[in-house]
Amino acid sequence: MRGIATKISGVAPLFLLFIAGAVSAFEDIEKLRIWPLPAEVNHGGRRMYLSEDFKLVTEGSKYEDPSAILKEGFDRMLAVVRLSHVVSGHRNSSGSDGSSLLQGLHVIISSSTDELEYGADESYRLVVASQGKPSYAQLEAKSVYGALHGLQTFSQLCHFNMKKKVIEVLMTPWNITDQPRFSYRGLLIDTSRHYLPLPVMKNVIDSMTYTKLNVLHWHIVDTQSFPLEIPSYPKLWNGAYSPTQRYTFEDAAEIVNYAGRRGIHVLAEIDVPGHALSWGKGYPSLWPSKNCQEPLDVSSDFTFKLIDGILSDFSKIFKFKFIHLGGDEVNTTCWSTTPRISKWLKKHRMTEADAYEYFVLRAQKIASSHGYEIINWEETFNNFGNKLNPKTVVHNWLGTGVVGRVTAAGLRCIMSNQDKWYLDHIDTPWQMFYANEPFEMIRDKKQQSLVLGGEVCMWGEHIDASDIEQTIWPRAAAAAERLWTPYTKLAENPDKVTTRLAHFRCLLNERGVAAAPLVGGGRVAPFEPGSCLAQ
Amino acid sequence: MALNHLLLLLLLILLSLSITITSSSSPVTANHDSPPYLWPLPAEFTSGEETLSVDPSLSLTVAGNGGGSPIVRAAFDRYTGMIFKHAYNRASSLLTRIRFLSVVEYDITSLKIIVHSDSEELQLGVDESYSLMVSKKNDQSIVGAATIEANTVYGALRGLETFSQLCAFDYLTKSVQIYKAPWFIQDKPRFKYRGLLIDTSRHYLPIDVIKQIIESMSFAKLNVLHWHIVDEQSFPLETPTYPNLWKGAYSRWERYTVEDASEIVRFAKMRGINVMAELDVPGHAESWGTGYPDLWPSPSCREPLDVTKNFTFDVISGILTDMRKIFPFEFFHLGGDEVNTDCWKNTTHVKEWLQGRNFTSKDAYKYFVLRAQQIAISKNWTPVNWEETFSSFGKYLDPRTVVQNWLVSDICQKAVAKGFRCIFSNQGYWYLDHLDVPWDQVYNTEPLNGIHDPSQQKLVIGGEVCMWGETADTSVVLQTIWPRAAAAAERMWSTREAVSKGNITLTALPRLHYFRCLLNNRGVPAAPVDNWYARRPPSGPGSCYAQ
Repeated sequence: MRGIATKISGVAPLFLLFIAGAVSAFEDIEKLRIWPLPAEVNHGGRRMYLSEDFKLVTEGSKYEDPSAILKEGFDRMLAVVRLSHVVSGHRNSSGSDGSSLLQGLHVIISSSTDELEYGADESYRLVVASQGKPSYAQLEAKSVYGALHGLQTFSQLCHFNMKKKVIEVLMTPWNITDQPRFSYRGLLIDTSRHYLPLPVMKNVIDSMTYTKLNVLHWHIVDTQSFPLEIPSYPKLWNGAYSPTQRYTFEDAAEIVNYAGRRGIHVLAEIDVPGHALSWGKGYPSLWPSKNCQEPLDVSSDFTFKLIDGILSDFSKIFKFKFIHLGGDEVNTTCWSTTPRISKWLKKHRMTEADAYEYFVLRAQKIASSHGYEIINWEETFNNFGNKLNPKTVVHNWLGTGVVGRVTAAGLRCIMSNQDKWYLDHIDTPWQMFYANEPFEMIRDKKQQSLVLGGEVCMWGEHIDASDIEQTIWPRAAAAAERLWTPYTKLAENPDKVTTRLAHFRCLLNERGVAAAPLVGGGRVAPFEPGSCLAQ
Repeated sequence: MALNHLLLLLLLILLSLSITITSSSSPVTANHDSPPYLWPLPAEFTSGEETLSVDPSLSLTVAGNGGGSPIVRAAFDRYTGMIFKHAYNRASSLLTRIRFLSVVEYDITSLKIIVHSDSEELQLGVDESYSLMVSKKNDQSIVGAATIEANTVYGALRGLETFSQLCAFDYLTKSVQIYKAPWFIQDKPRFKYRGLLIDTSRHYLPIDVIKQIIESMSFAKLNVLHWHIVDEQSFPLETPTYPNLWKGAYSRWERYTVEDASEIVRFAKMRGINVMAELDVPGHAESWGTGYPDLWPSPSCREPLDVTKNFTFDVISGILTDMRKIFPFEFFHLGGDEVNTDCWKNTTHVKEWLQGRNFTSKDAYKYFVLRAQQIAISKNWTPVNWEETFSSFGKYLDPRTVVQNWLVSDICQKAVAKGFRCIFSNQGYWYLDHLDVPWDQVYNTEPLNGIHDPSQQKLVIGGEVCMWGETADTSVVLQTIWPRAAAAAERMWSTREAVSKGNITLTALPRLHYFRCLLNNRGVPAAPVDNWYARRPPSGPGSCYAQ
């Protein structure tokens, strides 16, 4: 049951007219070449062309586009549509009577705000051509971010006609109603194991929009390097690999802004206490000792003061409601072997495990005090789940079954099981990414509602600017469809969608994204000459 | 058109400075331990000890007949975009706040570009020389700030690239700075042909990807994109005279229209890069027959092209007529390599034709290549052919022919001895699809090896690294090209002395690491330098500069 038609006021009658005349698309859904597959698609068989000066009109929209998010989204959409070939045909004379010409896109947005809010309505409805205005396509959405998704879908309906040398939209009338299945559709990048230059991060963000992913999980800092400027503690980025492999505070704000304008949230992570060795380069007192440098010193108030400083700075630029506090893989040996800390443990009658719990919970409190809701890796739940802040979102990675246990305990969960959704596992083929189902074994509706979504993780040990795109794509796209498309529309056998995914991979290539061949695992070079569509 | 004004000035300055570096001395400045992080190394340069700040709203002033060229303006805009890519809030640091209030001024507030010639003609041997001066403005200096002077717009482009490499973002002041100023650079290429081959037949490369490749070439001052458009596997280009040819494309999407190809040429010209098109006849042309099966000796024996039919040469002529409108470069590559003539011997009508003319199959190969050469020449093109044509029937080749080496290491030596011009592309070192050739082997390959006579040396017009496409598509092409192509690019640009002397682990490797990271910073996915095997992922976490 889908309630979207009633959510968007005033369009229902229009749609009834269309549905009556449209060809049901279920049997040839795979031929539609749309990725991820929309919730509802109907189409006809008529060809239309994009006018030379295809334009954006917004009459009747409540949204005023104060910072040009829609305008820029529209311009980007047109640019990618025109990227693959030079449009040189005489577009305006393509139809004999001009009736097959699309003059522009009429966008109607019912909410006036452009605040990017997690969980807000991302639905849209796309009609080509509009019934009332047959020379326009019509896109309706609750929010501008739903409209951006609609623009992505529209871009995939457009093709270059090699004979006429114009952009065409085949199979009109189109009638698409769409909304995501999950509100959290993430991709993790890791700028600690390798620094990723700003243009590279921006390319990743742009490519995410093509598959309607909406959370960039930025694993900024780890054991190896601390690339980000923290104004409150200006020596922290001394832990960068080199003076030039760093992000200024303004760079980070720019990344958040760049992503936000594309409807993508940026989830910042500091992975405490177990993945933070590089912090001590600037502030060595954070290390238990010079030769035992991880985890962070649990016994020192300075440690928590510093976390507070970081999160205070973060709250100025990372506006997403969630913060990721890590908490995974904590080897607490250094705490026991360092006399000062061992004494502290005894004084407070804590075991190493108690201290781990103490650390995580204290960090959670600090984050809460800055207005953040907290995400932690699953070990925190596995070890002391009942002590976690009840609003904690548990981020699965280790095993299967965690999502079920977490939601049964009433906590929210994000799925990233490493055997299926870790992109650095290059022997995991796209089919496994596609088939990974967040609701596997979870029947209870209430539990299902606690699964926010999932995330594919591009850990950076072997990933730098040279190989990040082809390791992410096309496998992340397979997961993106799992997270976007209604369960009933997903193929049970991933091989059934091969042709459509191959087409999407070629589309990414056309847009300058170095998506790898489908054949094999991740990041394989083509093994012989051949068509992009067949590899 | 001499660089009179600036040259004289430069000369005075050079005389007055004791740290003069010329091509005959070590490329390491006398008072600095490390070479400047420039790639490829300029022919002559001096540097100092000052650090200068660069205004983020750097302005362009132009002079000379060619200064107003849109090519200069567009390049300036591209480079300022690259130089000032870090976001920063002017009011965020004390220093910038003071500057914002004009208490402190930036040292470099404008870049002056002087271009003497108003000709935008881009051909082989176009003057790419330039002078670049960056110095603090003060009462004593005659010219302050930054000045590029060149004879042509293309020289100015090379100067802009060098200028951009001098600019570094400083994370403490959050401003762009130029270290080791003042800089006086006098630069020109060693070879006039510095090529990169791409192959769009084995895998289709989308327009945007070709543009990314062209853009990245300009960073290493390469100047010829050798476009191996067609081969056995696919025929992606539209040819209006024979409209069925591109039926040989892999799919209807994997094609280039005439306008697409023209756009590639235009895009490349804006970056001072010529596009040399190739039709590899008769041996690499099976895909032609998908649209015109008559071009095959028979449906079951499809290659080489049917030598007996006038139609074959009509099609070649038609393609060349179409291509002449797209590709203004004076060179056209006619291939001619790896011709297996078995099909000619085994197909009845071809065999009879051979017998009728008393031709061996080798004679027919020669006949084909020479006839194709004459077609190209009739359309005002200089033919380039792969070396087999020279080694098989060199004395019959048109004397204007440029021989492109690939197989044998001493073929250029032999070709120039016979008076032919030659392009060096030894497959053992300069074939980028050979993944087992690390950067230092690419770097140490010398096109003039074994050629001692200066008049013969002149006939080696340059070299080319070849990115054959069997196992390189959009997903891996850039990381297979870079950083190794850069090693060859310095070999071809910088003076022979600079690239041949000393321990390259000290003179070149740190700069190449730096250049690879610069490519990454500009969004080019150049692979780690240190990997023995090309285009492999980094071996573990670490700094870009150490991998």
